[in-house]
Amino acid sequence: MNPYEPILTKIKKIIPETPTITTFVLDGKPIEFEAGQFAELTVLGVGEAPFTPSSSPYAKDLEFTIMKVGRVTQKLFELKEGDTVGVRGPFGKPYPLKEFKKKDVFIVGGGVGFAPLRSLFLALVENIKDYKKIYIRYGARTPKDIVYKYLLPEWQKIKNVDILLTVDVGDEEWKGRVGVVTTILDEIPVDIKTTPAIVCGPPLMMKFTTQRLVDAGFKDSNIYLSMEKNMSCGIGKCNHCRVGRFYVCKDGPVLTWKDVKDIEDPFL
Amino acid sequence: MNFFLLPSNNLNQLLKNFSKGAKIFYPFSENGKSHIIEYNPEHNFEPDFSKIRTAQNIKNFFFPARGIVARFPAKIELRSNPIVLMGVKNCDLRGIEVYDRVFLKWQPVDHIYKERRDNIIIISADCPEPHDTCFCNFVGLKPYPEGISDLNITVVKSGYLFEVFSEKGQNLIDENKGLFIEAESESINERNNLRKSAIEKLENINKKRIKEKVYELVEKADKRTIREARDECVECFSCLHCCPTCYCFLLSDYKKGDDIERVRVWDACYYAAYARVGGGANPRSRIDERFWNRFQCKFNYFYQYEKFFACSGCGRCFVGCSAKIDIREILNKI
Ligand SMILES: Cc1cc2nc3c(=O)[nH]c(=O)nc-3n(C[C@H](O)[C@H](O)[C@H](O)COP(=O)(O)OP(=O)(O)OC[C@H]3O[C@@H](n4cnc5c(N)ncnc54)[C@H](O)[C@@H]3O)c2cc1C
Ligand code: SF4
Ligand code: SF4
Ligand code: SF4
Ligand code: FES
Repeated sequence: MNPYEPILTKIKKIIPETPTITTFVLDGKPIEFEAGQFAELTVLGVGEAPFTPSSSPYAKDLEFTIMKVGRVTQKLFELKEGDTVGVRGPFGKPYPLKEFKKKDVFIVGGGVGFAPLRSLFLALVENIKDYKKIYIRYGARTPKDIVYKYLLPEWQKIKNVDILLTVDVGDEEWKGRVGVVTTILDEIPVDIKTTPAIVCGPPLMMKFTTQRLVDAGFKDSNIYLSMEKNMSCGIGKCNHCRVGRFYVCKDGPVLTWKDVKDIEDPFL
Repeated sequence: MNFFLLPSNNLNQLLKNFSKGAKIFYPFSENGKSHIIEYNPEHNFEPDFSKIRTAQNIKNFFFPARGIVARFPAKIELRSNPIVLMGVKNCDLRGIEVYDRVFLKWQPVDHIYKERRDNIIIISADCPEPHDTCFCNFVGLKPYPEGISDLNITVVKSGYLFEVFSEKGQNLIDENKGLFIEAESESINERNNLRKSAIEKLENINKKRIKEKVYELVEKADKRTIREARDECVECFSCLHCCPTCYCFLLSDYKKGDDIERVRVWDACYYAAYARVGGGANPRSRIDERFWNRFQCKFNYFYQYEKFFACSGCGRCFVGCSAKIDIREILNKI
C-alpha cells in the first residue's frame, strides 16, 4: 500500500449546516476508523486537507463536516453530489474509550469543532450503558452557526445524555443561553476528579475552556484536546504538524493537557 | 574485519565493471572543492576520495528535491535505476541514517523511499584532511565510516583499501575478485595512522564537544539567547536546503492529463507558511521561533526519538549561510 495514495470515492450527499459549514456524505466507506482518528481528504487536482469524520465509526457511510476557510475547502464547496474525492487514512490515535467506561464524559465544543465530537458522541451512544452520563456543552457564534440543529432534538431524548447550548450573540427566535461557551461551564455536575473532558473548537475557545476546566479541578491527563496543526503527510514523516516533541498526526490529533501544557501557546 | 586492496591501476576497470549494471556517481575535485559527477568512460575525470564531503549534499539521490509519490486514478510504478554512489563521507552517512529512521523504521514504511534506497549501493570513504568547517567530532561522529555504507574506501599508498560492511558490498567484491589483492597489514596500519591523524586535526579544529544534555539547554533557551543567535539571519533558507539531515517535505497535487500526480518537494521549517493553519493562525509566525525550531528539531526532538543528533557536523549550513552563522558557536553559548 502506498501511504500517499488516496482511495477515490464519490460524494453521495451534501448537507448545508450553516452559511460556512457543510456536511459531505461519502459513498460507501472507503476507510474504517475509530472516534478521534482523522483522514486526509483530496479535492482532485487541488490538494489535500485533514479532517476528522463527523459520522459514527459504526455507521455505514463516512461523513465530514467542514468549514470553508481557504484554498482546499473553497474548492470542496464547489463540488456537487456525484463528484469524486479522495480519502487517505485513518491517521492518528483514537480516543481511549476503554478508559472512559463507568465514568461521566464531559464534551465541550465550539463552532465547527462539534464535527469530530459528533463522531465521538455517536460512538459513545452506541454503547451508552458503558458510561454514566454524557454531557455536551456547545457554543456557536450565532443561532445560525449551530451545526446539526436538526439532530439535536433527537439527541436530547437519549437517556443519560445532557446537552446545553449557548451562542455568543442571540436573535429574536433564540430562547437559549447567550454568552461564550465558558459561561455554561459554571455548573459542572460531574465527579470532576475522574471525569474525562473532551474539547474541540477554535484556538481561543480551546485556551479559555482548558483554563476553566483546570480551575474547576479536572486532572491534566483527563483533559483531551484536539490539536489543529498544519499537516501534509499525515503519517509522521513530513514534520509539519509537530508541536513540541509530538507529531499531531501520529501521537494525536488528540493530546492531553498534561502533554502540551509546558509548550508555549500550544493552541496557536 | 574484511579488507581488500584495489591497486590504483585497477580503479578504472572497477568503475567500468560497476557501470555495466548501474549508474556511478563519485566525487571529482577542482580548485580544492569536490563535486559529485556521473561516471562516463569517455571522459577522464579521476575520482578523488580524499577530500571532505562534496559541496552539494547527497539527499537528492535518496529523496529528490521534487519527486512523484502517488498518481491517481492510474497508479505509479515503483521503479528506480540501480546506482553506485561512491566517496560518501561519514557526515553524509549520518544523513542517510536520519532518512532511514524516518522513512523505514518509523511506521508506516515509505515505499517510495525504500525503492530508491534498496537500489543504491553506497561506497563511503575516509576523510584524511578535515577542514575548519568540519565538526563531525563536535556532534559525536568520526571522520571515517564504521557502517551504514556497503563498502568503505581508505586511500593508501598502494591503492584503495576497501572494507566490507554489508552483504551487498561483499557481493560487489566477489564479482570483481580478479581486480583485488589481499590487503597486507602495512596498508591497514597506514589506515590506522591516517585515521589517528584525522582525529587529531579535528580535535584542533573543534576543541570543544557538544555540551552534555544539550537537548535540555535547547529546550530551555530563553528568548534573548534565541534572538541574539538569529540576529544576523537574513532568511535565505540556504542552511536548510543544503543540509543532509533535513528531511521536511510538502505534498502538492498537479493535473497531468487524466491523472493527478502527487508531488513531494523539499520544504523547510524557516518558511513562514510552514506551520500556518487554515484561516491563517500560525504557531511560529516570528522568525525567532522558526529559527529556533531548527535547533529543537535537530538537537532536542530527533535526539529524543533516536538518541543521536539530526546534525552531522558537515558544516554546509555555515559555508552556505549569507550571515556566516555557525551552529557550533550558538550551541557553545547556550
Ligand atoms: C486533525 C485535524 C482535524 C480537522 N478536522 C476538521 C473538521 O472536522 N472540520 C473542519 O472544518 N476542519 C477541520 N480541520 C481543519 C482543516 O484541516 C483546515 O480548515 C483545512 O486544512 C483548511 O484548508 P484550506 O486549504 O481550505 O485552508 P488554507 O487556509 O488555504 O490552507 C491551510 C494550510 O495549507 C497551507 N496552504 C494553503 N495553500 C497552500 C499552497 N498552495 N501550497 C502550500 N501550502 C498551502 C496554508 O499555509 C495553511 O497552512 C482539522 C484539522 C486537523 C489538523
Ligand atoms: S545543520 Fe549544518 S552542519 Fe548540521 S548536518 Fe545540517 S548542514 Fe550539516
Ligand atoms: S524541521 Fe527544520 S530543521 Fe528540522 S528537518 Fe525540517 S527543515 Fe530541517
Ligand atoms: S543560511 Fe544563514 S541567513 Fe540563511 S536562513 Fe540559514 S541561518 Fe539564516
Ligand atoms: S502531517 Fe506530516 S508529520 Fe504529521
